[in-house]
Amino acid sequence: MSIRHGLLALLSKGPRYGYQLRVEFEASTGATWPLNIGQVYTTLSRMERDGLVAPGGEDDQGRALYTITEAGRQEVERWFSTPVAPADRPRDELAIKVAMAVAARDVDLRAVIHAQRTATMRSLQELTRAKRAATDGLAERLVLDSMIFKAEAEQRWLDHCEAVLKEKHS
Amino acid sequence: MTVVTLRDVTRTHGDVHALNGVSLDVAPGELVAVMGPSGSGKSTLLNVAGGLDRPTSGSVTIGGTDLATVKDLAALRRREVGYVFQDLNLIPSLTAAENVMLPRELDGVRAARARAEALSVLAEVRADQIADRFPEELSGGQRQRVAIARALVGERRLLLADEPTGALDTATGDEILELLRDRCDRGAAVLLVTHEPRYAGWADRVVHLRDGEIVDAGAVRLETAR
Repeated sequence: MSIRHGLLALLSKGPRYGYQLRVEFEASTGATWPLNIGQVYTTLSRMERDGLVAPGGEDDQGRALYTITEAGRQEVERWFSTPVAPADRPRDELAIKVAMAVAARDVDLRAVIHAQRTATMRSLQELTRAKRAATDGLAERLVLDSMIFKAEAEQRWLDHCEAVLKEKHS
Repeated sequence: MTVVTLRDVTRTHGDVHALNGVSLDVAPGELVAVMGPSGSGKSTLLNVAGGLDRPTSGSVTIGGTDLATVKDLAALRRREVGYVFQDLNLIPSLTAAENVMLPRELDGVRAARARAEALSVLAEVRADQIADRFPEELSGGQRQRVAIARALVGERRLLLADEPTGALDTATGDEILELLRDRCDRGAAVLLVTHEPRYAGWADRVVHLRDGEIVDAGAVRLETAR
């Protein structure tokens, strides 16, 4: 996903000014993707150049508003209707590290798995805490849930690696 | 001060070491999760910690009492320990409230008081609306709430939960963990056996068992922010 799709989705609810977009973006991604205000303005000016947003006057405090254009609406619609392809996600560094640990000589694979399991369990605990403390509503909760599911999948996979390893050695 | 302490506990079944030299402390307000593959000794650990089974060697202490010195283990269990299991063991011919009252009545508490206690703890697990329904009229999540209420009634300080989320969907499972966590935050000690990492994520500390022994215990300890 790009920042531009996130900003377009927010603008589809109505005109907004730059700082407001930044705050809403962070709130709706469960504070997992911090933006700096420069990124927001750079993205807005590129989208204006591409005809996806247009200047929308000022609010009563003189802040410059942006509105979504028809082309912008079509772009955000296209984004929501297109499933995320596996290729859009970065490579799984952990899977590669474990594969390399198998291939390399003199690496204690079990120790690699243990160290990772400890780290992953810690992040699961932290995510669960964050979820308990979460007050920003449904979007934040679902983003945290997504991260919990991913951490859980990683943990299960590590258990699986250990079980397979044990089988091979017995 | 710990609620339950295991010192160098071994439990053998014939030649099989179900537990081998396990030491573990659970303090008031602490939720400890026990994870490990099938057959690693998780349930044996829970049974020994709760006085349902006696260790072959080593010692188990609940609330300062060494279980080896206790003749009437059943009475001590009823007073100190609540159990929540995967198969809920609610009695089908009793209502939710009557199921929760049962352990108190066994302790000799009079029915009116036992019912008042049951309703209060059912309210605590947000199941007071269903107090007068029978188990078969309840959803899986509601039944597990009633089972937890039954484990909590009488202010027992040690709660043992063996896969309490069973076949529940993840959102309902999270609600069950939230209940255990709340009780823990108000001073109970909880020992939770689970094979699901997401539920272990609710714990202060996660203990991994392999072949009856604790591996990388304590490594996963979050300092509590309470």
